[in-house]
Amino acid sequence: MTGSYATAITVIALLLAVWTLVLVAMNRSPGLSLLAAGSVLEALLVGFLIGGIVQMVGSDHHFARAEFVGYLLACLAIPPMAVVWAREEKSRSGTLVIALAFLLTPVMVLRVQQVWAGPLV
Amino acid sequence: MSDTVDRSGPAPTGQGFGRILVAVYGLFALAATARSGVQIATKLSEAPLAYLLSAFAGIVYIVATVSLARGDVSSRRLATMAISVELVGVLVVGGASRLFPDSFPHATVWTGFGSGYGFVPLVLPFVGLWWLRHTR
Repeated sequence: MTGSYATAITVIALLLAVWTLVLVAMNRSPGLSLLAAGSVLEALLVGFLIGGIVQMVGSDHHFARAEFVGYLLACLAIPPMAVVWAREEKSRSGTLVIALAFLLTPVMVLRVQQVWAGPLV
Repeated sequence: MSDTVDRSGPAPTGQGFGRILVAVYGLFALAATARSGVQIATKLSEAPLAYLLSAFAGIVYIVATVSLARGDVSSRRLATMAISVELVGVLVVGGASRLFPDSFPHATVWTGFGSGYGFVPLVLPFVGLWWLRHTR
């Protein structure tokens, strides 16, 4: 859960966040290219969920399993929810919603890792 | 006809900056309810007060999110109520958790004025009330 796969997700999400924030600054709407790049991130997050559950099932160490799956699902759900919510808003506010979702992805990945590593708080 | 009716009322609270505000409220609705749902389902007996408080906060965030997103006259009233409850909640729970830290060993969204969430829970109700005034 702490491997290069999670790092790749973090880097790609941050790059997408920068890209989207540039669009906000230029007052441009997100285009198909951003949607395509976002889909790549989303595909990686599907892999993160499946890989996480496979690792969890194969492991017997003690951690908050329900929270772990919850955070994995949240990782997956947040970017599409942001896109749907932003779609009706044509101003730069809508674009900023998408940027916030990309900025949130690394935080959620970090929470996944913390729950995986840590004892119950 | 319905177009003119829509436009004659107060400005919609779910558009423009409101898009961002509703997104942030939605995020906290998700975070608080999902978290408390897991906690209540798996370990309610450990800290019933904290986990039920989290669930209450989650419901307040859900009501605020939906009513801000809808933005009609009755929704604005509901949003004002929910955000006022949120403001009181974060101040009371935040203050109590600072004064009596031993009574709050299990964190909620509002513990320490939302310090676990970058103090966003403390700032959010002020922004929400400002936005409701601003769009009136």
